[in-house]
Amino acid sequence: MTTPVIRVQDLVKTFGRFRALDGLRLEVAAGEVHGFLGPNGAGKSTTIRCLLGLLRSDAGTASVFGLDPWGEVGAIHRRLAHVPGDVTLWPNLTGGEIIDLLLRLRGVEPARSDRGSLIERFQLDPTKRARAYSKGNRQKVALVAALAGPAELLILDEPTSGLDPLMERVFGECVRERAGNGTTVLLSSHILSEVEDLAERVTIIREGRTVETGSLAELRHLRRTTITAQTPGPPPPLDALVDVHDVHVEGTTVRCSVGPEGVAGVLQALGRAGATAVTSAPPSLEELFLEVYRTGVAAAGDGS
Amino acid sequence: MRGTILLTRLAWRQDRLLIAVWTLALVAFCYASAAATPSLYASAAERAQAAQGINDNPAVVALYGPILDVHSTGELSMTKATVLYAVFVALLGMILVRRHTRADEESGRTELVSAGIVGPHAPLTAAFAAATGVFVLLGVLVALADIAGGLTIGGSLVFGLSWALLGLVGAALTLVAAQLVPSARTCAAIAGGMIGVLYLLRAIGDTSAVALSWLSPFGWATQLRAWSGPRWWVLALYVVLVAGLVVLAHALRGRRDLGAGLVTARPGPATGAPYLRSSPALALRLHRGMLIGWTIALLGMGALMGAIAPGVSGLLTGQAAQEMIRRLGGPGSLERTLIAAEASIGALVVTVFAISVVAHTSHDEQAGLAERALSTGATRGSLFAGTLMVAAGGALWLCLATGIGVALGYRRDAVPVALSVLATAPAVLVVVGVGVLGWAWRPGWYVAGWVALGLSLVADQIAQLLNLPSWVGGISPYSHLALVPSESFRAVPALVLALIAVALGAAAWVSYRRRDIG
Repeated sequence: MTTPVIRVQDLVKTFGRFRALDGLRLEVAAGEVHGFLGPNGAGKSTTIRCLLGLLRSDAGTASVFGLDPWGEVGAIHRRLAHVPGDVTLWPNLTGGEIIDLLLRLRGVEPARSDRGSLIERFQLDPTKRARAYSKGNRQKVALVAALAGPAELLILDEPTSGLDPLMERVFGECVRERAGNGTTVLLSSHILSEVEDLAERVTIIREGRTVETGSLAELRHLRRTTITAQTPGPPPPLDALVDVHDVHVEGTTVRCSVGPEGVAGVLQALGRAGATAVTSAPPSLEELFLEVYRTGVAAAGDGS
Repeated sequence: MRGTILLTRLAWRQDRLLIAVWTLALVAFCYASAAATPSLYASAAERAQAAQGINDNPAVVALYGPILDVHSTGELSMTKATVLYAVFVALLGMILVRRHTRADEESGRTELVSAGIVGPHAPLTAAFAAATGVFVLLGVLVALADIAGGLTIGGSLVFGLSWALLGLVGAALTLVAAQLVPSARTCAAIAGGMIGVLYLLRAIGDTSAVALSWLSPFGWATQLRAWSGPRWWVLALYVVLVAGLVVLAHALRGRRDLGAGLVTARPGPATGAPYLRSSPALALRLHRGMLIGWTIALLGMGALMGAIAPGVSGLLTGQAAQEMIRRLGGPGSLERTLIAAEASIGALVVTVFAISVVAHTSHDEQAGLAERALSTGATRGSLFAGTLMVAAGGALWLCLATGIGVALGYRRDAVPVALSVLATAPAVLVVVGVGVLGWAWRPGWYVAGWVALGLSLVADQIAQLLNLPSWVGGISPYSHLALVPSESFRAVPALVLALIAVALGAAAWVSYRRRDIG
């Protein structure tokens, strides 16, 4: 196996008495799209800041391209592009100026980059001052600047926050194109479904610790959908169906948690019962953690 | 109304430390000045002589304003407070109002509260009300401090009132400035600039044409004659000015959208200029407007100060004044003394510029912008160098520009006059170095620069008033340099200060390399 692009072992970072990272592990292989999941405040952004050499860790090791991110910032940064979770921009520069600046700081000449086509795809007005941009537009500026130049590694911290669904799709296409060209992607999010489409492997963290890591197939048990339905009469009995869990009935409303094998059966049963409304929602991360802890799969795993 | 009251209390809550420190410092200064006067000048005759001495020195009059009644102990005690330290009161008004109007608007906080029960005018009313509360408190405390220091009760009260009103002038000016432009930094530049112009107008008026002093609220503070037969109607001038500005601000607010300035922002360039490719270039680009504005302002200020210098000796007709001029070595020496005093004002103003640059860098870092640059190929070294280049390089440039302004106005001794402000640069760089070191330790600690500047201003004063050992006065780096052009340049202190500045810069770099960003 070749050296992983990102390797984090037992990383600890404290802010005063608060332990933001508490023995975190993360490994991203070359060429993979890796989902980095955790609820708000789990330590995703702190991990990324350590990987970028902005924060100095208190214990443990981190390497990017096999190099130390604290000591060899320049060598690492020329090979990666980063989109932060909370994009702030220089208020009196225009979006176009900022994109060009960020590209040049990475050593990319804007005229020879994909800048123009990306601005078009993301429908960004580059002549507006950053002060006047909405959250989504600031996000687009950061995305264009990150995606326009060549990079071996993309570090994307909740990159779709503030984007409308249409732009989310454009973003997904762009990431897939980069991944197709062999770019390694670290994609952080607090929503599992968001990374499901793009990532091959995911790492889930909570309170600064790695809870679960593996391929999506391995984490299949986590991919349950919560289905809620209204029926005219008493709901049909769902407990007996394959891969259906946690059935709750309240009057004519039924709610249950359904694995991939059970979806078709539940929908058929609800159809037969003449259901008047059906909603389905991906599981929240907190629900996943409960599941992980309950089934005892939890381990500060290293993916093996 | 309820929303306004809530916002006012929120403002006090956010600013309580700033208000406490600022108020305490000013009140302590007034008490020390009042209490020390009897020990400095034992008899009424000595006090009158001291007051006459101040009036006879145009450099001092330019700084502090004249003493209208040389027999008044109160007026002598409060010489520096009446006008010069009143600038800090006006600046406090600016800081308080800007924070809760334009700065909140730019950061989106105003939008957050606007969704609640507050109308578009509530933030303006609340910011001004918060400032009014602070200045009522400050006025009362200052009056009490003066009374405790042994000054007359009536005079102390009128003096406290004049400070409170000057604070409100600063607040009201800023309330108007906040309506003009979308940027909180530009708002500070406009309001600070207006306060500077009003002070300068008075300085020129007091040294050459008193009519000009009547155009400035700082001039009114002297003309009020707080300590001997107050001219009550002068207070009406303040009230009319403040009320007019507040009404103007509300009218302007009614003509613009939330977050916008008066003029709709035009589209900017769609691509970055070719030079915009490094951290230093970015730092320069971000401070471009500021550098141009300050250069023009300081050139203008220098030219005005240079132009009034030749007129001053004609104003001094008294026996003692003529004697002093003779001792100094003729009218030419007197003018050079004035220019040297102007150069030291210039040095302080340039220091304010440079510390502001460090403050901007620090705020940008806390907003996540350092992270933005550093996650590209930009290194910490280039970011540090960019900040230092604009702060220190800009300071040197502005020193030169101010000197050139004075030389253009004065039209004699061009070279020494043009270099007079530059001769103070080592001291400027030491104070800025303290700010840079603070920032390099923790982003918010750039405030060390303001503290260093404040201490440099008052150290001499405090040491004299409280009978402290002489080295206390010497902590001001400005006090060690020769007063060019009235004295000839001394290389040794300049070199020592320059080395201290370099050492501070080096220590800052070591610290900045090792700390977390953000």
